[in-house]
Amino acid sequence: MIKIKKKDAGIALAVLLLLLSAATVISFFLGSVFIPPSELMKSNIFWQIRLPRIILSALIGLLLSISGVILQGVLRNPLADPYILGISAGGAVGAAVSMALGAQFVVLGMSSVPATAFIFSLAAVFVVYKLSQVAGRTSSETLILSGVALSAFCAAILSLIIILTGNLQSIYFWLLGSLSSASWGNVLTVLPYALIGSGLSYYYSKELNALLLGEEMALTLGIEVEAVRLILITLASLMAAAAVSVAGLIGFVGLIVPHWVRLLIGPNHRYLIPVSALSGMLLMVVADTIARTVLSPTEIPIGIVMALAGAPFFLYLLRKKRVEGK
Amino acid sequence: MTILKIENLACGYNPAKPIIKDISFEVEEGEFVGIVGPNGSGKTTLLRAVAGLLKCQQGSIAISRHKIEHLGRKELSRRVAFVPQLMEPVEGFSVEELVMLGRTPYFERFSFEKADDLEAVKWAIEELRIENLAQRPITELSGGEFQRVAIARALAQEPKLLLLDEPISHLDLRYQVKICKMLRKLRAHRSIIATFHDLNIASRFCSYLILLKDGELIAEGSPEKVVTPENIWKAYRIKVKVKSNPSTRKAKYVLLP
Repeated sequence: MIKIKKKDAGIALAVLLLLLSAATVISFFLGSVFIPPSELMKSNIFWQIRLPRIILSALIGLLLSISGVILQGVLRNPLADPYILGISAGGAVGAAVSMALGAQFVVLGMSSVPATAFIFSLAAVFVVYKLSQVAGRTSSETLILSGVALSAFCAAILSLIIILTGNLQSIYFWLLGSLSSASWGNVLTVLPYALIGSGLSYYYSKELNALLLGEEMALTLGIEVEAVRLILITLASLMAAAAVSVAGLIGFVGLIVPHWVRLLIGPNHRYLIPVSALSGMLLMVVADTIARTVLSPTEIPIGIVMALAGAPFFLYLLRKKRVEGK
Repeated sequence: MTILKIENLACGYNPAKPIIKDISFEVEEGEFVGIVGPNGSGKTTLLRAVAGLLKCQQGSIAISRHKIEHLGRKELSRRVAFVPQLMEPVEGFSVEELVMLGRTPYFERFSFEKADDLEAVKWAIEELRIENLAQRPITELSGGEFQRVAIARALAQEPKLLLLDEPISHLDLRYQVKICKMLRKLRAHRSIIATFHDLNIASRFCSYLILLKDGELIAEGSPEKVVTPENIWKAYRIKVKVKSNPSTRKAKYVLLP
């Protein structure tokens, strides 16, 4: 079985890689303007707009998927996604504050809205983690509940900012998620998080596997659970915050992809992490191509595409799992 | 050779109210030790302390002469394995993959199963005679089958000391005997400590018994020495008669009418 699983994962990786390449190449040509293959290499639209956008969508798919895998593993909760610890709520408040103040600055290659969203996202997770710490220990339940509580609190602040400033539209678009502001600068901003995040999460796949048995069993298998959990939550949060800061709130990717891949090849993180990464990239490239072509020249926010397709698909997965479980 | 040495141990969840109060005993290699006692007497707490899941408030626990707080988690996990009363089945894993998780303390970064890991898993599966289950999904096993898988997973850690928390209390009679017979065989080259509710089964299969009451050790020794009407009265407030099982010559209690 161990060998068969390895083969399954290998096949899945190969197929996904093929599909991802195909989807990427096809999306080169599609958009509000069709670029004929003969002119692709000379086209400014391709080099300056479409290519960075496609790469960015793939990177965001990777960031959200791996972040979801890590958080579902560490929190041992199938409903966990990259946003469960307050990333989305914190990021939204950050973006709204930045828009309301009209601040203009650049930090770490990020302009004011992404940078503020990034910082607020991380601050939210930090607060959630600290709130859930009792006598130096945290439990998954208190982490998740603190995340829910802080998200509700942030939602109230967000509404307050919107009412006070009357600036509904730009915040609303940010909340729906969009890659329309993609640029090479954005790609360079999220690239390190994608590279370091994938590497480090794979490095911790042994710990994530041991945690499948529960916190106590992981301890008896020699895992320093508390330290590992802090590292992994920090990692998942950085990855999700990077994605949120440039693309707004894109739901369902981080929730669905890990579930789907687990059904496909099982819960071993050694395979789950790379296969989820590729699946997330594929999903986002396809979804963003749909978002920018279906109603062309009008663009649908990608968050809407993901939720329209993602929610029914998630229900399908749940039902499939229950049928197979019997 | 002494595998486990506990000296004046006190531990629990609340420093003001230790559950285990001043317990000392030793376990030699090859022993199958049964911890018995009424509910709330501290059986599970004692096991959890030895597994490194609870800090000692007083006294010390040493595995092969190394104090557990000096060993560190990884080294401890190569010496001591713990089978909890109820282990969660991991959805999507086969029996073999679950047993492989027991090799976690031996995995190096970026490299997983090596030849000796595969060998240890094969050995653990053979010892528990679950070869026929190896490829089955864990979620499809019966309680008795799953318990053997849980023990195989712990055995794959190649521990010197195997701890089991009530390994048979939710199994039918056939599996109770089957698991106990397997444990009795497994004690060679290591030691086993398990908690039991059934005194008759414990005295039938264990080589050494420890009787706890309210966190204190009130009797220890061979089953004949521990299972006496006086001790059972002291621990459980139940009047019994103790007979010797004619075929096994092991002590056995019978409730008085």
